[in-house]
Amino acid sequence: MGLRQQLDAIEPHFKPGGRFESWYALYEAVDTIFYSPGSVTRANAHVRDGIDLKRIMITVWLATFPAMFYGMYNIGLQANDVLALSGGVLDGWRGGIVAALGGHDSANIWHNMLYGLVHFLPLYLVTFIAGGFWEVLFAMRRGHEVNEGFFVTSILFTLTLPPDLPLWQAAMGISFGVVIGKEVFGGTGKNFLNPALTGRAFLYFAYPAQISGDAVWTAIDGYSGATPLGVVAAEGMGGLTEAYTWWDAFIGTIPGSIGETSTLMIMIGGLVLILQGIASWRVVAGCFVGMIAFSMLLNSVGSASNPAFAMPWHWHMVVGGFAFGAFFMATDPVSSAMTDQGRWLYGILIGVMCVLIRVVNPAFPEGMMLAILFANLFAPLFDHFAVSANIKRRAARVS
Amino acid sequence: MRTIHDIHGGIHPPERKALSRPGDLKQAPIPPVLVLPLRQHLGVPALPIVNVGDRVLGGQTIAEVQGVMSVPVHAPTSGTVTAIEARPIAHASGLQDQCIVIETDDQDQWLTFTGTADWRALDAATLVEQVRTAGIAGMGGAGFPTSVKLNPGPARSIETLLVNGTECEPYITADDTLMQCQADELIEGARILAHIVSAESILIGIEDNKPDAIASVEAAIARSGAEIELATFPTKYPSGGEKQIIEILTGQQVPSGGIPADIGLVCVNPGTAVAAKRAIIDGAPLTHRIVTLTGEALASPQNVTACLGTPITALLTHAGLNAASEQRIIHGGPMMGFAVSDLSAPITKITNCLLAPTPAELPLPEPAKPCIRCGHCAEACPASLLPQQLYWYARAKDQEQLAEHRLFDCIECGACAYVCPSQIPLVQYYRAAKGQIRDSEQEKRRSDNSRERFEARQVRLETEAADREAKRAARKAAAQSKAAEDGVDPIQAAIERAKARKADQASEPEQTP
Repeated sequence: MGLRQQLDAIEPHFKPGGRFESWYALYEAVDTIFYSPGSVTRANAHVRDGIDLKRIMITVWLATFPAMFYGMYNIGLQANDVLALSGGVLDGWRGGIVAALGGHDSANIWHNMLYGLVHFLPLYLVTFIAGGFWEVLFAMRRGHEVNEGFFVTSILFTLTLPPDLPLWQAAMGISFGVVIGKEVFGGTGKNFLNPALTGRAFLYFAYPAQISGDAVWTAIDGYSGATPLGVVAAEGMGGLTEAYTWWDAFIGTIPGSIGETSTLMIMIGGLVLILQGIASWRVVAGCFVGMIAFSMLLNSVGSASNPAFAMPWHWHMVVGGFAFGAFFMATDPVSSAMTDQGRWLYGILIGVMCVLIRVVNPAFPEGMMLAILFANLFAPLFDHFAVSANIKRRAARVS
Repeated sequence: MRTIHDIHGGIHPPERKALSRPGDLKQAPIPPVLVLPLRQHLGVPALPIVNVGDRVLGGQTIAEVQGVMSVPVHAPTSGTVTAIEARPIAHASGLQDQCIVIETDDQDQWLTFTGTADWRALDAATLVEQVRTAGIAGMGGAGFPTSVKLNPGPARSIETLLVNGTECEPYITADDTLMQCQADELIEGARILAHIVSAESILIGIEDNKPDAIASVEAAIARSGAEIELATFPTKYPSGGEKQIIEILTGQQVPSGGIPADIGLVCVNPGTAVAAKRAIIDGAPLTHRIVTLTGEALASPQNVTACLGTPITALLTHAGLNAASEQRIIHGGPMMGFAVSDLSAPITKITNCLLAPTPAELPLPEPAKPCIRCGHCAEACPASLLPQQLYWYARAKDQEQLAEHRLFDCIECGACAYVCPSQIPLVQYYRAAKGQIRDSEQEKRRSDNSRERFEARQVRLETEAADREAKRAARKAAAQSKAAEDGVDPIQAAIERAKARKADQASEPEQTP
């Protein structure tokens, strides 16, 4: 109990009137990591389900791990493949670590993981620290607790980034996401946009050179390698099937954002969330329904000038951020719809918008991020319709 | 075979019913002092008809009804009335209420009762009156006066009497025990109640986690030879809510703001049926009830028949609670019950369970975290409401929206609070909001009343003024016409008179000191 006593000894300084009064949130955060709080509300249901907010957030965090580890491996795989052809090596401090602990053999899993690690970990750390700074700052000023939700926001944000994004940009992005996407609306539970995607959208429009185009997806300076969606936009389905097989895209051995390439790994984590009842299956199913229906419609309409019209739904599913968005981003409960009917509509809108932006808008080969943010705006409207219908139905039942 | 319907939502909390060994009914000792609240039911408190110092016998009426929504109180044993005063009662507010305190003697002398074996010969009004004088209030938890429930009014015709033996809340086994030990009385009581409301059929619903009770009731039905249907249905909380069990067994929904009688049903608790049997056939008033004493903090959890008015602490000590310990005691079950603030409070007609959990068994809730709109509450809500919307509106005190979202359809079952991952005490907010709305409605009624009174007064004053004006005008017209006839101006005449009087006063001698 040494730690408990120390924490108790310094607690008075953090209470109102104490020297570090405004730092209470930070003290509280540290304290509750180690100990269950003593102040309690008296709830009416004396027995409670085992699930709580902390467990939900930790589960989501753990559910990203398959995609995260695979993402690290894939960063290395993509880069080492290229380096093997050119005979180059990674330079800078990252290169030093890789040289000291491994090498550049793309057939060696450890070498690939290491290569990914030196890219992913700094990005994640910077994201965590920069985002955490704002989180704690707002918690302190508002006098509430630091929420576990931030663990989720930070990992999701990092996984949507290209592997060699400049670190300061990651800090900018997460700062925008946390502050403008969440805190200005009152913090956890009160935001209407997904904070991780808000941060990414900020980077997308503020620094497009580092987060879009062909040059950023492989973690080697000056190397240009298009993502499958980039290939389709430029060369059509023929070009795509020449460059990658569907299984490549499904398993994830393609260039792309860190955590978004492997549909398989995302589905593993996503299924855990659905089975745990954390992610709404209606939202995910809605995304798929909307995406499949709309891509089939475009297939049948066809276009002479736009080869992406011909992209079938099973390719839409495995490339870009569709799977990651559908399972991890769209299902964020705060920014998604909350009624059952609303969730279906919300999911379908995401699926449709994703394909629409990918195919019809030549400026954006990827559409999932904007589709979800767009649908976030519509979620309250869907809920409003669902609630009105509900109320009408009840009113009809009265007499 | 009856079709069993499913209700929306619901949860499956750990049942923990075996702990109190349902089916094994014991007699609790008569405590030295009984505290009988004048209001053990929903409605107007009863009026004491005994004085301090009076000796009372078991079964004697000690407080009489005041109005329709009221239930009398009877002495559960013989003794002396030592006080009629405010005492702590088992209520969520922790407030005190008027109680009759009886110091018991050990003689347990009773009045002799005369019952009616041939109740079919009596008409409904007589039977309802007997139920009323026997002091029966709904024993499921709400304490609604049974005599009122048995009077659904001529506009509603009752098809079915439904006996609700669901008892879906964890831990509680009082009804289970009653159905096992007093099944014959239950059947007899149900037939009497059905006769009173002229129901064509009797339906008994029991959740399928009580096989012993089901078997016992089945056997009792067979023995009675009556045509009574027994329906069992899957265990789920809160299937035992009145509206819920009706939907499960009939597929019909009670209209929002309506009562079961609107769709031809009267729903009673098994305990109420047994009490009705005793009231009619034995002529005995309601003085005892079955209480489940349970929780891991008790050495011997059990079901007991206890005198109404027995202090909670006496019962728990009987069940082996270490009275010295700082113990949370829950009146009712873990879902809808409330923590008792003063253990000297007595049990009443609605006390079905006293729960003494260890801290590990039912941990105190952690601080509430922000709502993340996960929607688990909406999935669990048996009334298909949107608990989180209600929560936001309750916090915003937006009464219009609360009404729009049907706050008053909430049955306060606590399923939403059970599943909430942010541990928000949702039901707390709803109860508070309901209270505020009732307050403001009352306030509005009061202000409406005053406004109406004020407006009526204005109208009255105006008509009076108009009357006066009319009379004045009439007088004036009369005077003028008279003047025209006499040739004398009455006003001029009045002025002349006044001048004359003034002149008289002026001529009087001035008094100087």
